Amino acid sequence: MRQRLIRIVTFIGGLYFFLRFVLPGDINGFQFARYNHEITNGFRAIGALTFGLGLINILLVHGSRLLFRRKGWFTSAALLFGLAFMLTVTIGEWLASARAAADADRLVMLREFAARIVADEKAGDSDPPYATRVALLLKNATLEVERVDQAARRENPAGDSAVMRGLRTELHAKINGLRGGLETISAGTAGPEALLPLAQQLSDVAATYRGILIEQHRAAVVSKLYTLLSDGLFMALGTAMFSLLAFYIASAAYRAFRIKSAESALMMTTALIVMLGQIPFGLWLWDGFPDVRMWLLTTPSTAARRAIEIGAAVAGLIMAFRMWFSVETQSFSRGER
Amino acid sequence: MAVEHATLGILVLTLCMLLPVWVGIRRTRQGHQLFVRRIKAVDAVDEACGRAAEMGRPVSFSSGLTGISPVLYACLGVLFHVAKKAATFRSKLLVPQNDAQVLAVTEDVVRDAYRESGRLSSFDPKQIQFLSDEQFAFAAGYMGLVQRERIGSAFLLGNFAAESLMLAEAGQQMGAMQIAGTVNPEQVPFFICTCDYTMIGEELFGASAYLTREPVQLGSLYGQDRAKLMWLVLILAGTLVATWNSMGEVLGWPVIPNLEQLIIWKAW
Repeated sequence: MRQRLIRIVTFIGGLYFFLRFVLPGDINGFQFARYNHEITNGFRAIGALTFGLGLINILLVHGSRLLFRRKGWFTSAALLFGLAFMLTVTIGEWLASARAAADADRLVMLREFAARIVADEKAGDSDPPYATRVALLLKNATLEVERVDQAARRENPAGDSAVMRGLRTELHAKINGLRGGLETISAGTAGPEALLPLAQQLSDVAATYRGILIEQHRAAVVSKLYTLLSDGLFMALGTAMFSLLAFYIASAAYRAFRIKSAESALMMTTALIVMLGQIPFGLWLWDGFPDVRMWLLTTPSTAARRAIEIGAAVAGLIMAFRMWFSVETQSFSRGER
Repeated sequence: MAVEHATLGILVLTLCMLLPVWVGIRRTRQGHQLFVRRIKAVDAVDEACGRAAEMGRPVSFSSGLTGISPVLYACLGVLFHVAKKAATFRSKLLVPQNDAQVLAVTEDVVRDAYRESGRLSSFDPKQIQFLSDEQFAFAAGYMGLVQRERIGSAFLLGNFAAESLMLAEAGQQMGAMQIAGTVNPEQVPFFICTCDYTMIGEELFGASAYLTREPVQLGSLYGQDRAKLMWLVLILAGTLVATWNSMGEVLGWPVIPNLEQLIIWKAW
């Protein structure tokens, strides 16, 4: 039953993607791929569920090695410590940045509220009444401005950077402007045209406040730790690994350039011509080397490359059809489960 | 120039490629014997498993950066065979992974192989190790694993990128017998230089059929070769038409519609 269900789901999934590929975007007004975004996201969500499998596997393999003090337990301990530390710092950084974004978004929501009031008034929508909504906007904007002013005044104990000082001065000026704007507007008499500058002022304050929050976030310990681990360690280690490639290429090239047969002699000669066509020394020897090099790369090399690609693409397509019709699964699980 | 694919021409072309596969599978299921040419790298799979067993060292099988795709299924066919051999010879099999989705599928395939060999009790899920989904962290993990476990034979089949040479050199330094196979043309020279045997492009897809002699796989290999023949004919016809048309511009010959126009025939 389980096998049959898997085959049915696989067939329906394959059928959808096949038809999406060969059918036109619009068939007499019917759009076959209308819900493609949702369907693709669904598949992604299912794929994301397997993320935990990787984590469980690491815990299982290295946890048991550490627990039973098997050979290499110390490296497993280092790995698990690194995993836990990186996970904690990443979650902390994510939460802090989400909090900062949500903080600034409150001002943006007020700006959107002001714009909505104006739009509704122009469209003649008066439920709830215009004056009530304006009063609510003014009350919340006043409260929010005071909150932002207080929050932005909190200084970094280690001292502010020049950027931060500039942002604080800018925010202070904008808040004063917004306060002035709020005082001139009265809920009972202000027309929609008076709300538009207010919306703009809210937007300006939000942008500067967001800048301050970003600066505060950057100065926070969790953010600095994350940058240290990610940019300072993880990326640096990745780059170090990549740089090893140069040495491995030299070692592989040495093996490739040993002439053991007619084929390796041909490969050696071709490689030599390509190298001479690339460097100034080759040009000094004979100015025809770059042309020969280009011909070798664009004609025989491209032809061979395309032959590999076409062969692999046809084979891949046929394999995909075998998977679609669940013919392939029979090859792996012939035995009784 | 990209070809518009939502056309009747593409649909017909796709079905034309499928027809020989269907015929091939039918013929093999009816008992017809199909000839598969020898591929040295595939012949060496059993030798590599046996060598590791003789040396008392583990076998490693990596599908590199392959995600869930047809290439992975081609690799799984070989993994199934290698895992069966490892189970039979009681060799330790290590399958380092960089994709959690592939990890789940791989574990199932290796378990099936151990079950089919009658040694399910020897199967340990910890044989399939998730290293990292980051390319070079995975490469570093693989290199460490090969050195620590003193791998006797290594299989590197699937999609690879810049890390291919690092993985292959790690095995080379340990003196392991290495069999590689990839559909990425850029990585083929690295494998040829470093590994004992290399499957190039579609040979990887044929490997499983060659090893298992399964009717489905043999039949589709037969169909796949016919489909490629069709492409060869199309390429030759297209070249002739393009040559005719370019000469016709000078000599005033009538213009023949090129194949691309036929394929993108918008009948919808």
